Amino acid sequence: MKYMLSFTVNGAPADVAVGPTETLLDVLRDRLGFTGAKRGCETGDCGACTVLVDGRSVRSCITLALTVQGKAVTTVEGLARDGKPHPLQQAFHDHGASQCGFCTPGMIVSLAELLEKNPEPCRDDARAAIAGNLCRCTGYVKIIDAAMAAARSPHKKGGPA
Amino acid sequence: MAESVIGKRIPKVDSREKVTGQAVYAGDMRMPGMYYGKVVRCWEHAHAKVKKLDFSAALKVPGVVKIIGPDDVTKKPYNTTVMKLLVPEIFGEVFGEIADLNIFNRVVKHQGDAICGVIARTEEAAERAAAKIKVTYEPLPVYMTVEASKAEGKKKNGYLFTPLKPGNLAFDLPESFFPGKRYGWNDKDGKTAEQLFSKCDYIIEDTFYVPKQKQCQMENHSYVAHYDERNRLNIWTSTQMPKPVQVLIAELFELPLTRVRLTQTTVGGGFGVRLGMIGEPHACAMAMAVPGHPVRMEFLREEDWVASETRYPGHIWLKMGFKKDGTPVAVDAMYSARKGGYYTHGSGPPFCAAAFLHGMYKWQALGMQTEGYFTNEVPTGAYRGYGNPQITFAAEQMITKMCNELGLDEIEWRKKWHKSIGDETWLKGVTFASDGLNDCLDVAAKEFGWYEKKKKYAKQTGVKRRGIGLAVMQHTSGAFPMLLEHSVCTAKLNEDCTVELIQQISDLGTGGHTVITQMAAETLGFPMEDIHLKSGDSDMCGFDIGAHASRTIYCAGPATIEACESVKKQLLERAAQLLEANVADLEMKDKIISVKGNPQKSISAVKIAKEGVYNYIDAATGKTIGIPGQIQGYSSFFAKHCSPPYGACMSEVEVDIETGEVKVLNLVNGHDIGKAIHPPSVEGQLEGGAQQGLGFVLTEEYAYDSKGRVLNNDFTDYKMLGPSDMPKAKIILVETAPDPIGPMGVKSCGESALMGPIGSVANAVYDAIGIQIKEAPITPEKVLKAIKEQGLRK
Amino acid sequence: MASSRILPEFELLLPQNIKEAVSALGKLKSKASVMAGGTDVVISCTKGFGSPNVISLAEIPGLDYVVYDSKKGLRIGAMATLQQVADNADVKKRYPALQRACAINGTPQTRNMGTVVGNIMRASPSGDCICAVLAIGGKIVLQGPKGKREVNIDDFYLKYRETACKADELAIEIKLPAISAKNAFARMTRTTLDLSKVNVACSLVMSGKTVKEARVAVGAVAPTTIRLKKVEAILKGSQITDEVLQKVVATVPTEIKPIDDVRSTAEYRRDVAGVMVKRIILEALGK
Repeated sequence: MKYMLSFTVNGAPADVAVGPTETLLDVLRDRLGFTGAKRGCETGDCGACTVLVDGRSVRSCITLALTVQGKAVTTVEGLARDGKPHPLQQAFHDHGASQCGFCTPGMIVSLAELLEKNPEPCRDDARAAIAGNLCRCTGYVKIIDAAMAAARSPHKKGGPA
Repeated sequence: MAESVIGKRIPKVDSREKVTGQAVYAGDMRMPGMYYGKVVRCWEHAHAKVKKLDFSAALKVPGVVKIIGPDDVTKKPYNTTVMKLLVPEIFGEVFGEIADLNIFNRVVKHQGDAICGVIARTEEAAERAAAKIKVTYEPLPVYMTVEASKAEGKKKNGYLFTPLKPGNLAFDLPESFFPGKRYGWNDKDGKTAEQLFSKCDYIIEDTFYVPKQKQCQMENHSYVAHYDERNRLNIWTSTQMPKPVQVLIAELFELPLTRVRLTQTTVGGGFGVRLGMIGEPHACAMAMAVPGHPVRMEFLREEDWVASETRYPGHIWLKMGFKKDGTPVAVDAMYSARKGGYYTHGSGPPFCAAAFLHGMYKWQALGMQTEGYFTNEVPTGAYRGYGNPQITFAAEQMITKMCNELGLDEIEWRKKWHKSIGDETWLKGVTFASDGLNDCLDVAAKEFGWYEKKKKYAKQTGVKRRGIGLAVMQHTSGAFPMLLEHSVCTAKLNEDCTVELIQQISDLGTGGHTVITQMAAETLGFPMEDIHLKSGDSDMCGFDIGAHASRTIYCAGPATIEACESVKKQLLERAAQLLEANVADLEMKDKIISVKGNPQKSISAVKIAKEGVYNYIDAATGKTIGIPGQIQGYSSFFAKHCSPPYGACMSEVEVDIETGEVKVLNLVNGHDIGKAIHPPSVEGQLEGGAQQGLGFVLTEEYAYDSKGRVLNNDFTDYKMLGPSDMPKAKIILVETAPDPIGPMGVKSCGESALMGPIGSVANAVYDAIGIQIKEAPITPEKVLKAIKEQGLRK
Repeated sequence: MASSRILPEFELLLPQNIKEAVSALGKLKSKASVMAGGTDVVISCTKGFGSPNVISLAEIPGLDYVVYDSKKGLRIGAMATLQQVADNADVKKRYPALQRACAINGTPQTRNMGTVVGNIMRASPSGDCICAVLAIGGKIVLQGPKGKREVNIDDFYLKYRETACKADELAIEIKLPAISAKNAFARMTRTTLDLSKVNVACSLVMSGKTVKEARVAVGAVAPTTIRLKKVEAILKGSQITDEVLQKVVATVPTEIKPIDDVRSTAEYRRDVAGVMVKRIILEALGK
């Protein structure tokens, strides 16, 4: 049995017929083509699937799709505004914060929530915001460097278009 | 002239698509008519026979297209590794390389062995059908230790993992190459290490344990395979070694290379796990069962733990002898390793553990034996460092202990006794060409405050005890001359005087594509934006080994440089002809070629490039306008050396003596890079490598139940360090010893990053509590037990 | 055993109010599991421990409250997330044990999803909120087909993963008393992001330097999180001297029955639980 899920993704409405067992991650990736959210562990441990639901970061791999009825979902693809990358995306680019890149979307989404909540984070705040995002390439150093650089940007709030 | 980009902190050429979520990994691919493949694995047993395989219920699941088992695929045994392509055939035979894997199996040799494959129209159908396949097993005894495997192998009619390896001994050093089955050297009088111990004033002997660590690349292994209408087998994969894997697939399925196309997708981390084949044979076999339909196959994270290779675990025994002034005399050693269920990289990591012991210090004699016994575990293979993390964990703890007990300054001892220019490296007959270790030690000691801290922490009371530790290392840049190191580059000059580099550069997130582009820009004197690297498609690229042994920049960089030099030379030659000047008198700046000292006499390189392609006939003269022919540079480069880099790492820890918890507070790693072409990438390697090294020494290891099944096949219970667990890390790039052979002075940095953190943290724990913890990972459980049993020694 | 990325089939119910939820639960009983934030339920499904029906509370309005009253104490609704509770000013001030248990639980994302009541209901022997609430004291409010009842946290955990909540009852709230007790929580993990290998919490009512009332809870050392009655008896009426603390450290191992598992060993848990209890007592008293 499928049910109609109506929600918005990156500001645009989406209506998808989904089954009760489908996760938000699968719907985003396989039905709607938002492959920026990654399948890293599918047990909620690694953070590669992190997306925003009504502005709060969640693990889309352990979120049942039908529980986000009517909500606003933002993926890494929806962070750019006015054709310009989100300050975090720019800072990750400028600071070499992305290596293999697989954890990058989840990292950026987690940090985007931080910058919305806390306009002047310190390094420890950034570290805490990505506490649940695993990375095997960077040792997290340049990721936190990038987060601090983005926090200094006047347009740090970014947000969905 | 375009400003030099060498050594600059520029953004990486491939990071835009990664930060926006647009980079395409194999699991992100969708193609028309695509099916989904699912490998059914044995989860119940680590050792068993398949008695019955029943597909009937699974075939009834709507959407299932086909299910294939052991009888439906090639019976040709294979090996995942590319080793046989890298050494002469005879060498492989002497080393005992074998092929003992099958795509689908009737005997399960480790949990996760593949049984059959389901192909379905949707991923859900494939998964649901896989759950309905009934496999009846006959469990067999499991052999999880070297001792158990060895004992069984010794029995008359005992169980053998493969008839090709008597006694279950997967590998030891062949006597014909290595007298006494030892790698090393004898002293000037021909005495072996064993024979020299009687001359030593101070002898230490100990056994260490190194863990089975998983690479934990963040991208799960994912593939799309497609047997197309032209009978070509196409595979999209994030393998580290695209060209050699293309060859292995062609051999396994008995196809000419013209009918196998391998495309390397964005690689979501490698660290050695993708050094060869993993799921490629299964994905290809499924695609060949449904010609015309692409088949996507994605591993689950839990499959990674049981179906892709790991680091070699085992025991390392070391005996070291010294004169009382610290003069190193002799070292004898044995690495006894658990191989896992199949041969795979049987010879590599154990041999290299011995090799990296060989490369470090000036002993009068050295001998190291290695052995690997089959066990019912997922096979061991390549993991960043390839034997070096293991031997460093053991050997650097021994050196520090010796210095403590003989009252020597451990920094000075290492400065004095490490091998240097002219000494033999890890490989017999190959000598060091540059040495920046003393500088690494000096800058690290200064940044870290080594001597101040040493004094400060000499006497401590209280529950939390600080300790500091040091470890040095040497590694390699590529594996030549032991292994083939060959890279091909074509540099095509476009008609607008931009350049396409056509080269298989395997960038695992390491910055390789950026550095290669920088090297091309520098060689040509063109801006970075005018260089584009085309990589990844076997239909287009020439040969390249791929990413292993920290080789990419050192071995493939020269091919890029040579190809670009050739383009430049051809441009200058044409300019010389058109300007009626000598090539030697010309220079090129901002794409203008002019006679030195006479800038008026010049011609635009853009014009030469354009006229080479659009070579019209001038109607008035009947002659061609400009010089015809599109310019292309080419290099087929073979490495000439392996320029080992050195490194010195210092760590500070705090040990809670009531709980045994170890907190790493601070880490300084000085690395002898020679020349950092792209500093953020080099730092990124060393910062990220520290996370893996700290995991090795503190938290990471497989856990099994009594039946040999993995208990921690997820990030819930296999603990790698997160952002909050990392210490303050300072990476110092030491560029005082540019290598005379490496391109632009470069030495490697990829694998080097793990050894220092591993050895220095082990030594810092030793410094804090006065007890050496000889088993990695150094968990609170082990520390507290040691304190309980031995008492604090400091 | 199977390994699959597709969740086993189940029906998802999205009741619009508590009445609908209780009615569905009354019909399905043990054939249904209740899902609040989903962080545990979905993973249980992945691992093959799911039910044929999942009742999600996601669409029931008004359950995400965290309310403090100086007389009645603290009420936490079934959909209040760990992050909400961690951020609540009253919780920070009066129930630091619970605040800490929420703030370090899981990851920022699972704290945005997971709920305190869910953590309590999961009945894991290593549950951090369970440990904190057991030390503070409190009641779980259960709504069944015949009405509401309250169960004291002390009587709630029966055995491993089993609670006093009946199959047709829905946990809608947890109540913590208004207390002046000094309380604190700590845990030990392999890495920061982890499940507890041991967790401890205490709540001490002080009269000057003397302990008037003491509640001490330890998790991951027995089939359920337990209170250390002998330790509490030692503390009650005592001043916190080195001698008393030494006695506490020596007593803790006699009250626990830890096991070996992938996170730690029984021996280690026995060795450190006492030290952790000692330290949490000192922390609660601000020492």
